Amino acid sequence: MSTKIRRITAGISGLAATAFLASCAKNAPQDTWQPKGSNARTIDNLQEPVFAIAGVIGVIVLCVVVYCVIKFRDRGQAMPEQTHGKPALEIGMTILPALILAGVGVFTFRTVFELAKTSDTQMVVNVTGQQWWWEYDYPAQVELGITKPIITSGQMIIPVGTKVLLRETSRDVIHSYWIPALNGKRDAVPGRVQTLRIDADKPGIYAGQCTEFCGLSHANMRMETVALSKEDFAAWVANQLTDAKSPADKTLAKEGEGVFLNQCVRCHQVNGLKKADGTPAIAAPDENVWAGAAPNLTHLMSRNTFAGASWDLLSQKCRADVWGASSETVGKKYLAGVSEACLNQTDLRRWLRNAPAMKPMYSDPTKLTPTNGKYRGMPNLGLTEDDIDKLVAYLSTLK
Amino acid sequence: MFTPGSKLFLGLTGFAVAVSVIYVALVDNSMGGAVTLLFIAAGTALLAGLTLFNRDGDVAVGATDAPAGAEQLTASLWPLIATVGFVGIVVGLITHPIVFLLGLIALLAAGVEWLVQSWSEGASSDNAYNASIRGRLLQPIEFPVLALVGLGVVILSFSRVMLAVQREAGAIIFIGAGAVVLLVGTLFALKPNLKKTLVVSVCVISAVGVAASGIAAASNGKRAELVAANAEDHFSHKDCGEEKNAHFDGTAQGTISLRSSVDATVELRDGKLIAHELGIDKATQTITLTKSNNATIIFRNKDNKEARLTAYLGTKAVQTGVVEEVLDCTQMIGKGHEQALTFKIAKPSMASVKPYTLTVPGLEGQSIEIMVP
Repeated sequence: MSTKIRRITAGISGLAATAFLASCAKNAPQDTWQPKGSNARTIDNLQEPVFAIAGVIGVIVLCVVVYCVIKFRDRGQAMPEQTHGKPALEIGMTILPALILAGVGVFTFRTVFELAKTSDTQMVVNVTGQQWWWEYDYPAQVELGITKPIITSGQMIIPVGTKVLLRETSRDVIHSYWIPALNGKRDAVPGRVQTLRIDADKPGIYAGQCTEFCGLSHANMRMETVALSKEDFAAWVANQLTDAKSPADKTLAKEGEGVFLNQCVRCHQVNGLKKADGTPAIAAPDENVWAGAAPNLTHLMSRNTFAGASWDLLSQKCRADVWGASSETVGKKYLAGVSEACLNQTDLRRWLRNAPAMKPMYSDPTKLTPTNGKYRGMPNLGLTEDDIDKLVAYLSTLK
Repeated sequence: MFTPGSKLFLGLTGFAVAVSVIYVALVDNSMGGAVTLLFIAAGTALLAGLTLFNRDGDVAVGATDAPAGAEQLTASLWPLIATVGFVGIVVGLITHPIVFLLGLIALLAAGVEWLVQSWSEGASSDNAYNASIRGRLLQPIEFPVLALVGLGVVILSFSRVMLAVQREAGAIIFIGAGAVVLLVGTLFALKPNLKKTLVVSVCVISAVGVAASGIAAASNGKRAELVAANAEDHFSHKDCGEEKNAHFDGTAQGTISLRSSVDATVELRDGKLIAHELGIDKATQTITLTKSNNATIIFRNKDNKEARLTAYLGTKAVQTGVVEEVLDCTQMIGKGHEQALTFKIAKPSMASVKPYTLTVPGLEGQSIEIMVP
């Protein structure tokens, strides 16, 4: 075997081995081949046969090409007789792909229309993208126990087996919402409302990723959908409908509340938080952030992640416990929220110390003129370690 | 190596670059003027490259059978236009920037045309040949520019006519003009043997007619309702009350093409106001909108009375200690008509003492609450 052929064989073997090993990944929460909801399954039912057909055709074409390259390679032989036109073959090679594509097209269109169906929606969630996190607000839906709107971010909670309609939009640039296990992707476009339907067969946590390049921290714009049993969902709703309670006087958390009122409430809303004069503290992200919004932190510790679902609020051990839980137990574990023992203090403190160092949001804070001085994400607030201690203590109370 | 034509343009390029450097160093370092000069340098460099590439149009300058500098020079209007341009620049400096700009354009255009014409007339003793090499160089620029200017004049003139006549007449004129263009175009296409002069005459007369109509319409002024609307600042101020406003409501459109990206639809029927949110089947008296984001609501009037939808969007401080309500509204529309209303609420509901609402002024006890989490 010549050196050249050996090299080619080694290269192809290496690629094949890489592809094979990649398919063995155990922890692949964004695997499009493992649908966990009816819409994702509808897509899967189309993509599997299409992939098989395309694969077979691809292999045949590749084999023919390789055969021709080897069989008719230049050995210094005379130029063969040149011919032009072979009507039967040409017509056949036109009709056959056309028929295959028409067949694929029929099933694709059927799938597209099936996925677009929204008439039997059972629940609605407004999903709003901005650089670089997702906000979810739930309109009042009394039959689901949502007596007034709920707002959260990073993790969207849905009841299992419920057809949920996402009304997607964006406050700044185009984003794209994608939870591979539950459905395909849909762009969130400023000024438009696009709909996407999802539902989950079983309780669990389903990971996703913004799939439209949206700026510096596009890669850090993650999202998770948490499907809970109907009972667990009702418990989650009941908790979300409550306002935050002020910590007891003369505690570190109470001092943290003061720091929060001084520093954080400019952008972050905590429902129920009152200023020293007793009036509600209203956040004004519209005056400080380019997108005009920042995550509502009223129930921060009821979710497992922060900063666009890119970092865990749970320590590694506790996170593994929740994510690895069975569908029967995941709801209870999720609803337990973030206990003091489970809080990932390391990342939370790093974030409070210098957020842009963890998640690039603006290249140079001295050059905010194009955005009228407004930030595209959380700035470095220059907090002291003392302030950070107090803030962590306060944030821990936001269950 | 260098042809006479390329030497001229290379010289101009070098001159423009040198002037731009001096300009930045001595006059203004804001780069605006330098960029303009460098653009001129780029243009002359391009012309230098072109003349170098085609060896001054393949003309053997100085050859015995094509003596350069033959005396048969043609008359030229360019010096006159250049003078007009120069005067325009001077007058524009004193009067109005647009005069300055037009003068500058005239001067630059005349300069380029004059240079190329002079150069081409020195190419050979054959005037027709000289004209052809001039055309080869300049016509790729002249034709698109003239077409653009001609189209601009026609469009501007037509728009003046549309602003001057009544709305109903405008629609008829638009349809009529379109039909005539289609008819004449079809005729030209079906009769390819028509005399070129006839086709050109029809086009030129039509264009002149449109331009003349435009001038007449512009001198006559806009139609009365637009003048009044401008005078009352109608375009920046909405009257959101119960009364019909002569100007704000005067040009109300009753149909909209918007069908997607609608957050909610609000209907007035039998004196009752009901809303339908996107994706929620049943009627509701509350809608939920995301904060700091444009929301679009469609208002459909199915009542016999004319009505408008008014959104109460909280308050804003206009000066220290003085706040006023923020309102937005559709125009007053009649039965069977619809309009879209787009607005943004930056603060959550809890920030407003009074709930954000959608109401129909004059209709008591009916409102849709807007909830902003």
